[in-house]
Amino acid sequence: MATKTAPSTAHDEHGHGNDHPPHLKHYFVSSDQQFDAAKLGMWLFLLTEILLFSGMFVAYIVYRAWHPEVFVKMSELLNPFWGGFNTIVLLGSSFSVALAIHFAQKNDQKKLVLNLAITLLCAVIFMVVKYVEYTDKFSHGIGMGQFFDPHGDYAQYAIPYAKQFFSIYFVMTGIHGFHVVIGMGIFTWLLIRARKGHFNSEYYTPVELSGLYWHLVDIIWIFLFPLLYLI
Amino acid sequence: MAHAAHTDAHHDDEHHGHHIIPFPLLAKVFGALVFLTALTYVTAVYVPLGPLEVPVAIAIACVKAGLVVFIFMGLRWDNRVNLLAFSICTIIVIVFISITLLDTEYRGDFGNVDELPLDDRMRMEQAVQDREAALLGSDAVVVDTTAAAPADTSATEQ
Repeated sequence: MATKTAPSTAHDEHGHGNDHPPHLKHYFVSSDQQFDAAKLGMWLFLLTEILLFSGMFVAYIVYRAWHPEVFVKMSELLNPFWGGFNTIVLLGSSFSVALAIHFAQKNDQKKLVLNLAITLLCAVIFMVVKYVEYTDKFSHGIGMGQFFDPHGDYAQYAIPYAKQFFSIYFVMTGIHGFHVVIGMGIFTWLLIRARKGHFNSEYYTPVELSGLYWHLVDIIWIFLFPLLYLI
Repeated sequence: MAHAAHTDAHHDDEHHGHHIIPFPLLAKVFGALVFLTALTYVTAVYVPLGPLEVPVAIAIACVKAGLVVFIFMGLRWDNRVNLLAFSICTIIVIVFISITLLDTEYRGDFGNVDELPLDDRMRMEQAVQDREAALLGSDAVVVDTTAAAPADTSATEQ
């Protein structure tokens, strides 16, 4: 009983007098209300992200509807093994971030830190594979827009609308990769805070919201992988 | 004492509000996602599905995205307003895609008074031109720059 009333007496100088944990902003009635508001805000941000990517998906759909044979031929240039490998890596990181939230809710600091570290590691692996894929494309003269000039064995791919396919490929995977890099920054920050013991079952909002962001990045890739590499 | 009772009730509320997704469920969903990735890989690379290839790949991607949204992101247990926002966004994306396709797929057809859509009429005119060129026996077949052109010229040679 004494342990439960201790935090409230420590914050009596704010004039609330009742349950007032350090993370609770004074303009919220309760931790629950603060958590729900933060989560709704995050969802609204994620919906704008969906709309951002849907613009690019529409470009993909229209060009594919106009020139399906070009898209089928160009997907030969993308290695489905590495695309599939990256899909598994991102799914694994989504799983680990869901576990990080699970263990934060259960006050298991060690497993929280471990799962955040796994997530960060998966993001790094994803970007390394993407870097190898990009440099391989560039070395054969396959870039976007004016940098599309395939040579050697790849000259056969210099057909009309191949340029448009690779512009769509590089813009979509590029902006997705940019989100992964931002995610790496966020998970480094979370890892540092988690090691300092900032999160517990009462307060883990940053972990929850970053998890939502990371799952969305995963969902975008779930669609990009079959559309670009497989079909 | 009354104060302590109030805090206890509040804590119960929090546990009710913040659903802890059980570990076995998370593991099962991860397994399902990996299985579906393998399935989409196998169906696209090894199984000749013909015209069904694209719909199957997109259907599998939608199931995977649904699993992530409702289980991993916890929308199933979440505040209903988040589900409402997500649904509205999904509808907007569907409207965005379908209205754009109504334009790009049927461009010009809305003002067209011909019985045929513009694409069909163009194809018919092209076929007539090709036949005339073949009858004249000239090599001056008008070669379209699209990828469909080689197929057309081979048809006229027969």
